[in-house]
Amino acid sequence: MQALETAVPESSFVANYAPEPSAYDEMCTEAQHVRSHWQPLVQRLGTLGISEVGRRWGKAQELIHENGVTYNVYGDPRGMERPWNLSPLPVVVGPEDWLLISRGMVQRAELFEALLADLYGPQRVLTSGTLPPQIVFAHGNYLRALHGVSPPRNRWLNLYAADLVRGPDGAFRVIDDQTQTPSGAGYTLENRIVISSVLPEIFRECNVQRLALFFRAFREMTQSLAPHNRDNPRIVLLTSGRSNASYFEQAYLAQYLGFTLVDGNDLAVRDDHVFLKTLGGLQPVDVILRRVNDDFCDPLELRPDSLLGVAGLVQAARTGNVAIANPLGTGLAQSPALSPYLPALCLQLLGQELVLPSPRSWWCGEPSALPEVLARLDQLVVKPAFTSSSENPQFVGLFSAAEREALVRSLKATPEAYVAQEYVTPSTTPVITESGLTPRALVVRFHAVATMPRGFTIMPGGLARVADVAGVSAISMQRGARSKDVWVLSLDRVSGFTMLPPSNRPLALSRGGGDLPSRVADNLYWLGRYAERAESVARLARVIGARLLDLSSEGELQRSHEFGPLLAALEAQTEFLYSADIPYAESMTIETCEAALVSAVSDDSREGSLAGVIRAALRAGRLVRDRISMDTWRVLATLDGEIEDLRGARGGHHLSTLVNLLNRVEVTLSAFSGLAIDSMTRGQAFHFLDMGRRLERGTALVTLLRATTVRVSDREGPLLEAVLEIADSGMTYRRRYLATLQTPAVVDLVLADESNPRSAIYQLRALADHIQALPPLPASGTRSPQLRFALAALRELELAEVEPLCEPDPEGGRPLLEKFLRQLGTQLPQLSDSLSDSYLNHAIVSRHLVHEPATDSNGGGA
Amino acid sequence: MRISVEHRTRYQYSAPVTTSHHEARLSPRDSEHQRTLSQGVEISPEPSVVRRRSDYFGNRTLYFGLCEPHLALEVTSKSVVELMPRRLEDPSRAPPWEQVALLLKTDRKRDVLDAYELTFNSMLVKANPTLAQYARPSFTSARPVLEAARDLTRRIHSDFTYDRRATDIATPLEKVLEQRRGVCQDFAHLMIGCLRSHGLAGRYVSGYLVTEPPPGQPRLRGADASHAWAATWVPEFGWIDFDPTNDLIPNGQHVTLAYGRDFDDVTPLRGVILGGGHHTLKVAVDVVPVDDEI
Repeated sequence: MQALETAVPESSFVANYAPEPSAYDEMCTEAQHVRSHWQPLVQRLGTLGISEVGRRWGKAQELIHENGVTYNVYGDPRGMERPWNLSPLPVVVGPEDWLLISRGMVQRAELFEALLADLYGPQRVLTSGTLPPQIVFAHGNYLRALHGVSPPRNRWLNLYAADLVRGPDGAFRVIDDQTQTPSGAGYTLENRIVISSVLPEIFRECNVQRLALFFRAFREMTQSLAPHNRDNPRIVLLTSGRSNASYFEQAYLAQYLGFTLVDGNDLAVRDDHVFLKTLGGLQPVDVILRRVNDDFCDPLELRPDSLLGVAGLVQAARTGNVAIANPLGTGLAQSPALSPYLPALCLQLLGQELVLPSPRSWWCGEPSALPEVLARLDQLVVKPAFTSSSENPQFVGLFSAAEREALVRSLKATPEAYVAQEYVTPSTTPVITESGLTPRALVVRFHAVATMPRGFTIMPGGLARVADVAGVSAISMQRGARSKDVWVLSLDRVSGFTMLPPSNRPLALSRGGGDLPSRVADNLYWLGRYAERAESVARLARVIGARLLDLSSEGELQRSHEFGPLLAALEAQTEFLYSADIPYAESMTIETCEAALVSAVSDDSREGSLAGVIRAALRAGRLVRDRISMDTWRVLATLDGEIEDLRGARGGHHLSTLVNLLNRVEVTLSAFSGLAIDSMTRGQAFHFLDMGRRLERGTALVTLLRATTVRVSDREGPLLEAVLEIADSGMTYRRRYLATLQTPAVVDLVLADESNPRSAIYQLRALADHIQALPPLPASGTRSPQLRFALAALRELELAEVEPLCEPDPEGGRPLLEKFLRQLGTQLPQLSDSLSDSYLNHAIVSRHLVHEPATDSNGGGA
Repeated sequence: MRISVEHRTRYQYSAPVTTSHHEARLSPRDSEHQRTLSQGVEISPEPSVVRRRSDYFGNRTLYFGLCEPHLALEVTSKSVVELMPRRLEDPSRAPPWEQVALLLKTDRKRDVLDAYELTFNSMLVKANPTLAQYARPSFTSARPVLEAARDLTRRIHSDFTYDRRATDIATPLEKVLEQRRGVCQDFAHLMIGCLRSHGLAGRYVSGYLVTEPPPGQPRLRGADASHAWAATWVPEFGWIDFDPTNDLIPNGQHVTLAYGRDFDDVTPLRGVILGGGHHTLKVAVDVVPVDDEI
């Protein structure tokens, strides 16, 4: 298909590249010539040199790791599953191939759209005999509740994606269609951003078509579907949940396109309209971009056991008050069982020959198909007939005898459940390995988006996946596969249009006003709490550790009085003893002190240990990934590695290593706080994040004072110094009182001095301000309960007379101070609970009302 | 004969339900042997939205939603229908069942397609070898399909014990077959499963049965219940009903509410609620010939 091929340039870059003769190679011809459309890239890479590419790639990987979690990590931080590793060499698509691919993709999208309109309408393809009706009637995604319901603007398909391979003959085949919730566009975009920053000059010079225009079309399409408010519609991306493999892609797309990321519980149907539950009340939703499968979308009319959907959504869709993209029921068209019938359907529905065919396929429910399939089984891939599953194609040629036998049995028992497809040996493309360039099998996913009023546009680029093992027989793409950027070369000058923000500034929360979903507010609040809790635990542990390091003997430990109270404070913090009694260790050795410290830092079986709290912060952060800036996220991601180091500390690091580590964690966490403050607009998101921080900081201060100041000791100086250091108030103190350390002065500064931004009263003042800035609650009086809690605590602190409070009793205690602190320790959690009750507990999960029970006649007597 | 049906459903919640969505199929269908003379559904408290539509199978379907907090929901459907005598076909004139199964598989005319759709598995009724085996004695070679279905009706009636305690709505068909006990819904599902296991169409019909009080005793209010039976499709004849619970072919005593693939398609009242705590449910049905209305 390529016109010009010239000899490989004198470049070590491709010198030892040896494609396998049995497959088509994307870069080289059989005669080892570089295809013309690859030459611009190959020449420039040759000039750059493979080692420079390697060096840059190393740098990029650091960036990816920092961005890491954005880029491709999902699930638990320890799970760290990476769906794809990115590979630095792009795949180049020449202009002629692109013409064919884009024409073929548009046609296939149009075909599936016409097919869906027919199947959910007159069903002429069934009455005419073109399509066996079983394929529709036995399909789980044929949603009868949607039959006869025309989607907004009569567009049955808004997004479409397909996986293409190129066979040894050089022709493309579609091995998988996605018509329900096409995925991968977000990954494609992320890949492009990374690769174009690794190879910026090559990317510019190669005249690569940009992706931004596609995403603009994507956004325009979504907007134009809105039944109301077309000028400024509210568009949400309905996620299939955090545990879904593509959750981060969903969060990424939502952020990039400016849509609100929601899950089913964030939405509610009232009077045939869909609303977003926000802090400011219910806000109408015009368009839902869904990643939830058809049958899970509405527990009332579809699958009753679904927790992902929205009750009443089908009814809202039926009335046309909300657009759902893709429309409900579109999963029907991605059935592999359709493949054998697509050429005939294309003729009947579009009057055209199919441009991009599937591999030769048989639906085994067709009486004539089964014998043919069994006769050539070893050259075939067998798939379930009704579920799209490119993830799991079974190439029979690789089966063991027992597996093959089991398959034959199933085929004979329920032939209609299977589709068999000729195996197409995929083309290969080079990847960089330790032994230089090596060919690897390639699959590319291309994306289409609907244009209004008709037609589709194709993304000039795609998500390439390459096998991670050599050899073209490797068919399974999901394990250890790598992804690649796909460069579609342009004959014209490319448009420099970009949708990325102009500079590298943090992406601030742009959603002002009242559209913050309650669930998101809840997660931000907890992110603030956990991050602050981690910071205070780290600081406390670091102060203790540093002092332990200074000890020269057990005797010195016995003579010093600060370790008991400080370790008690650490215990109280990590065991959440906010108002309960704080236990003090009876006797201590350096060894027990160190053990207590290590446990509080790194024992991740303890929920309140530093490791445990950081993990909780990461978890909360991940859930609001789309709401915090890239930089803030990057800081959080750094913590991920530190958690691992903390865990190592458990094995018995030297104490000084632990102290260094705590220092680092503290710095990272203050960077997080700083960034959160700098990069967030003062909207509701910020209020909730900061309320979490303030509440936690206040609690930590009260706990610290309760553990360290309510008992009189002989030498209070060193302990008070530690308290000031932990409360980050040492400098202020010295400025005020010079070197004299006295309990009342320290308590006053840390507890009740409003000019000290690290004092408890300062935190409460900030909390009260935040609460007053929150949207008013319906049906509450002038002051909400949480405001009353905050003001009550604030009042007590304002009126507190510190000197009398600190008066010791004859037993050497400070009972008044203890009582005062204990009460504060009770009030703060109450304040938190009432905040949750008022704003955050909207996520009550709906449930199914038991059907009216099976009914019966009055016994068999009639 | 004119029949008056009153079907009351009351949900009582232990905590307020803040919002709820419901779907009801409580309005009788019209057909050549049934005509609705009057029909109304009362809902208390007043829903914020009520929508009527005809569903995929042509059943009169009511969607309603409540968004004011409530502690109880009461839905009362009142209908008066006229039942006309059905045309009873001569079972021996029906084609052999194998021929019907083949026609369903191969003919693409709209009415045949509609029947063909009812040969496939549905949520609650999936064909399987055990069902096929149970049904086999009724489906002897070349037996007219109506005779086979009538025989199956008789066998289910005699092999199975009517037992309200044996099953609930979640009991799978396999269990019913194993314990040989159940209620009308189970027997209808069983019959449908047997038909589908032989490549025939099986339709679930929900409705009511007119019953006579025992001689000398007054009719008790609320003592009736809803009922369910099955139907299969026969070329030329159309859909023919069979009542395996009572071993008869319905004629003049069965009021048809709705039909579909199984109970799940025609549940009289279903809902999704937010809040509510525990709930209790009371259903009362009165099916009374209009001439002897109490």
